[in-house]
Amino acid sequence: MAHHVDHSQPLEYSTPQNRLNIYGFWIFLGAEIVLFATLFTVYFTLSDRTGTGPTGEEIFELTPVLIETFLLLTSSFLIGLGVHAMRLGRKTPMIVFYILTLLLGLGFLIVEIDEFFLYVHEGATITTSAFVSSLMTTLGTHGAHVTFGLFWGTAIVIQVIRQGINARTANKAFIFSLYWHFLDVVWIFIFSFIYLRGLM
Amino acid sequence: MAELFPKEHVVGFIGSLVLTIAALSVVWFDVSMVIGMIILLVTALIQAAVQLMLFMHIGETDDKVDIWIATLFAFGIGIVTIVGSLLAMVWGY
Repeated sequence: MAHHVDHSQPLEYSTPQNRLNIYGFWIFLGAEIVLFATLFTVYFTLSDRTGTGPTGEEIFELTPVLIETFLLLTSSFLIGLGVHAMRLGRKTPMIVFYILTLLLGLGFLIVEIDEFFLYVHEGATITTSAFVSSLMTTLGTHGAHVTFGLFWGTAIVIQVIRQGINARTANKAFIFSLYWHFLDVVWIFIFSFIYLRGLM
Repeated sequence: MAELFPKEHVVGFIGSLVLTIAALSVVWFDVSMVIGMIILLVTALIQAAVQLMLFMHIGETDDKVDIWIATLFAFGIGIVTIVGSLLAMVWGY
């Protein structure tokens, strides 16, 4: 490795490049915060514009939403354990935690896709009303992020299996964990201010 | 085995489950819109803070001030966008 490796830091922070990568990713997450804020803005502005279509109270189901919430909260916890195992240098537990994280993410996605089918079945399609358009755009953008994360996370797991835990793979795995926790935070806001507010 | 499950992470996870159930109270009980929104705001913000500080390790490096500035700046822009739009287009000012 060409860079000076600082052994007083966890591996993911151990080179100047690694620290910059992590800082840069926080800047990216800032842009993501603003992206989701604009989507929430659109939703809050249009959520009463249901036209002749259904309202949120009519189509939201608490059970699948609770399952999605539980899956994502647990996967966020598991990837935290994955990073912790990585810092202990424990490759196998780290990989197991990352794979479990991705499996719960996949479970979340399956429940969410099923929910979209249910909405369409009940006559709430993306062209039905401004409410459904903004709802599906917001949920869909989050779901697309989770989908992308499944591919990204799989690539990280493959690299760690092949190359082990080193400054480069630890950095990538840590940055992916930031992304995954961030998606959980966005979901908490969706759960609270779209679903629970709609069912109140 | 126990070393793989650090206490703070387990406590944080249980905390996030408790906060989720606390947020559900707005659906289970007949609360007014204002009280309900306050409950949801408090539970969501605490949950976000748990994720940021515990799981995302936001405060553990020398550049933590820069990271906080970038994140809070983005959060501030988001809040201004949301509240400003509500003010102009929903609350009728």
